[in-house]
Amino acid sequence: MESVLEFQEITKYFPGVKALDKISFKAYGGEVLAFLGENGAGKSTLLKVLNGDYRPDGGKYLLDGQEKKFHTPHEAIEEGISVIYQERQILMELSVAENIYLGRMPTNKLGVISIGRANKMAQKIIDDFGLSISPSTKVKDLSIAYQQMVEIMKAYSRENLKVICFDEPTASLSDAEIDALFMIIEKLKAQGKIIIYVSHRMNEIHRIADKVAIFKDGTYVDTMDAKTTDEQVMIKKMVGRDLGDIYEKLDRDKEIGDVLLEVKDLSSDYVRKVSFSLRKGEILGFSGLVGAGRTEVMRALIGADPMRTGEIFLEGKKIVNKSPRQAMENGIVMVPEDRKQQGIIANLSVSGNINISLLNRNANGLGIISSDKEEQEAEKGIRDFRIKTPSKDKKIVELSGGNQQKCIVARWLATDPKVLILDEPTKGIDVGAKSEFYNMICQFAKQGLGVILISSELPEVIGLSDRIIVMKSLQMSGEVMREEASEDKLLSLGMIGEETNG
Amino acid sequence: MDNAENKKKVGTLKKITSLVGGDKLVLIIAIIIVFALFTAINPNYFTWNNIVNILVASSLIGMVAVGHTYLIIAGQNDLSPGSLAALSGVLMALLLSWNIPALPAVVITLAVGAAVGVFNAWMVNKIKLEAFIATLVTQAVVRGFAYIICDGKPVSISNPAFIQLGKARVFTIPVSVWLMLIAMLVFGFILAKTKFGRSVYAIGGSAEAARLAGLNPQRIVTVCFVLIGVLTSVGGIVFASRMNAGQPAANINLEFDAITAVILGGVSFSGGVGTMGGTILGVFLIQAFNTGLTMINVQSFWQYVARGALLLFALTTDYVRKERRSKALLEASMQAAENK
Repeated sequence: MESVLEFQEITKYFPGVKALDKISFKAYGGEVLAFLGENGAGKSTLLKVLNGDYRPDGGKYLLDGQEKKFHTPHEAIEEGISVIYQERQILMELSVAENIYLGRMPTNKLGVISIGRANKMAQKIIDDFGLSISPSTKVKDLSIAYQQMVEIMKAYSRENLKVICFDEPTASLSDAEIDALFMIIEKLKAQGKIIIYVSHRMNEIHRIADKVAIFKDGTYVDTMDAKTTDEQVMIKKMVGRDLGDIYEKLDRDKEIGDVLLEVKDLSSDYVRKVSFSLRKGEILGFSGLVGAGRTEVMRALIGADPMRTGEIFLEGKKIVNKSPRQAMENGIVMVPEDRKQQGIIANLSVSGNINISLLNRNANGLGIISSDKEEQEAEKGIRDFRIKTPSKDKKIVELSGGNQQKCIVARWLATDPKVLILDEPTKGIDVGAKSEFYNMICQFAKQGLGVILISSELPEVIGLSDRIIVMKSLQMSGEVMREEASEDKLLSLGMIGEETNG
Repeated sequence: MDNAENKKKVGTLKKITSLVGGDKLVLIIAIIIVFALFTAINPNYFTWNNIVNILVASSLIGMVAVGHTYLIIAGQNDLSPGSLAALSGVLMALLLSWNIPALPAVVITLAVGAAVGVFNAWMVNKIKLEAFIATLVTQAVVRGFAYIICDGKPVSISNPAFIQLGKARVFTIPVSVWLMLIAMLVFGFILAKTKFGRSVYAIGGSAEAARLAGLNPQRIVTVCFVLIGVLTSVGGIVFASRMNAGQPAANINLEFDAITAVILGGVSFSGGVGTMGGTILGVFLIQAFNTGLTMINVQSFWQYVARGALLLFALTTDYVRKERRSKALLEASMQAAENK
């Protein structure tokens, strides 16, 4: 009999975000169904709902017509639903057989574990998979690919296995290893299992998947045939919007003025000898891979990390930022990337968050805060930045991600800065709010602020910046003017690098 | 889930959320229940004299609880007040016995209290120890010094002016109670209305976000530790004056009662949440409970068990409140996500 997995209106919320929005579709046994979507589209969240890591806030799912509710991944595995993750979830010090039969090792009548029998049973599975490893080998002595195989075998060893999901399984595999994995997936498919395959790699999806389920911003879009559907059609469904227009419509009618900020040979424990300058009214993009040191440059610049060497000049005057407070007093402020941990102060209200950097200005000589002044600032922030909140006294965590971010921007703009640093400002923010941010950023530049924009989204950094600095391995690897910037160019500078002449 | 159902759920949760603000009402009801119960067993319990007794007995806990309110909101903790209160009492008695006048003696003792606070803050800020462990160190060391400086023997106090401190009454209420009430009101105001108070809440919410927003979490933590040190020393001095002696073995488990009171009063153990008003009620509740147990002749060993149970109760309510907050938060997020 063919198994059927059916999702009915699955909905899941995270603070400020609707991660899954009424997801409904079916997956059938004997088929490989690929999940396709951008980061944050909800693919992994759906898998975590399926295997009991998360509980849905709405909707249900049925396996062969029976509704399932799991509280832990363990319960899901017991019922024949396994998810194989990128990070391996096996015990390195144990043998292959011990891992496969973890928690249910065969025993004799006295309850003593029989390693011999476990090895024999494991060997049978290894033969099924056509691998050449010994069941008594310790898992830590295997290659990453084989470790993943052990995980799959563990799922396979359950006689009731019905659903097996792979979350980006090929991320760290070589071509030969991918071939071996696909062979096994074919085998599982022939046995009528339901197979879900999450990947970003189009060629793999074409090769292994029968159907593709497309996700976009937490919603399910469509299921298409994987072999016959054109790649471009899939991508269009997955993006479903053309961002090009947004950038075209931005207000670029501004004047770039004198040099505002000059950074010379800045080094910290995390970056080496970075030099750049920023003009009034200029938007300076920082591109590069995650971990290239972009955030670290800015942290050293605002005194969040100690600066080891180098000098900073603001409007020609040398300044020293030993703490974020000093940087703020000098007129350099930063909206951090990690909004939850470093941006918002979760227990305070919208007003409290906007006013937290204005305590000195809002308080009298005795340190008593004027609630009138706070109210004015909060209302101004809410108005100017169009923060959607029922009241200024609402807890900031109750707002959506985009509105939380606006509060942080409002906080900093209220301090009358000269340089505004934005670190991945639109991360985890929905599309509508994104374009609102882009307009805001352009307005700041027009008003004469120097804006530094760190972004991993290439279209964003190209679409907004007047000039782009690319970083690679904790150093600058190049500088590109807006006119000559392309995704290829930024990527190759960021991944391969060039001699920097700065 | 359809929309109507959604809205209904949001509606009920709003009702529940509004109860979060009703925490103080719950405390007042608890106090009334405690009074009713103990008065039923011992009619002498509900008398003006006994209420003043409860207030006097709570004055030291109250002082320390004011400090703990700041510290726990800031995301820290302190287990050393019991030892420090004893050390302060002994030191004060010793200084007086050396014929040092009362005022300089008080100043010296308070300076020691402040120094202990600085030491605690140093361990937390610079050695990056958890406050729980760091102040456990202080608890042991300071208790040790309380014994060392008096050679293990209580030091009696004969300075008549100083004895008056523990006995004198203003408007029929003892000075020790006035001191506690003043501390509660002044520091309650500072917590609610000033720059410093707001900074304490901010670092308790997220120290790193507060630092990036221009605050100095380490300095704020230091001030909080010094505050509890000085308040504890004041309490310890007054306690010694009430007892006419400085006793090195006194005030064991003081921090236990103070922390229980603060958590009962609605300060969250995970930081960032709470008010001085809640602490005031919490202090009164816990002392009413402790005094009541003594008055109905519960064996002191069983009183320990009862205190443990009360702390467990306080922590459970803290947990329930937190769950309620996160549930309300989730509902609000659902709305925010829907409305965008």
